[in-house]
Amino acid sequence: MLEEKDVCCGGNIKTLILCCAGGSNVGQISNRVMVDLDKKGVGNAYCLAGVGADLSGFVESAKAADTILIDGCPVACGKKTFERHGFNPTRHIVITELGIEKNHNFDNVEEETNRVLQKIL
Amino acid sequence: MKIQILGTGCAKCIKLTENAEKAAKEMGVDFEIEKVTDINKIMEFGVMFTPGIAIDGQVKSVGKVLSVEDIKKML
Repeated sequence: MLEEKDVCCGGNIKTLILCCAGGSNVGQISNRVMVDLDKKGVGNAYCLAGVGADLSGFVESAKAADTILIDGCPVACGKKTFERHGFNPTRHIVITELGIEKNHNFDNVEEETNRVLQKIL
Repeated sequence: MKIQILGTGCAKCIKLTENAEKAAKEMGVDFEIEKVTDINKIMEFGVMFTPGIAIDGQVKSVGKVLSVEDIKKML
């Protein structure tokens, strides 16, 4: 864990969750996992696209937070996006490393998401 | 130079504002300071932690009360 940040108006938000949300089953699972973790209060869903677009508010917020970054596959676009800005996620999850094969079949995403959640929670 | 302080107005935001003013004056730069207190406008910056500081529209730091010396390095 990172050290306690000097957060004021932002309240208790300390963990940001970002995902690749890519165009495959594992990319979409990463998005569903992010939403589920947000709903469970693990952290706040946040925009990886904002970091990728070099939007300074997104970049600095991601740097300041504990981050859970969910990539769908080993291509690790999310992690590479972080690395472009010189930092790494606090926790990095790769969906394919959790027993889900990457494909373009979206019929089983819900069931595959539940399998992933059982492994990471 | 436009300095924006992003925060809803707590003590840390006020301290950051004071530090930014002092830094800009000591550096001798022409500047204006805007306190952005509307949470919706703060969110438009993508900022999730306050206080934050933006210089000429670029967010330089969030979630920290930067010292005068830290801010000078950004000006």
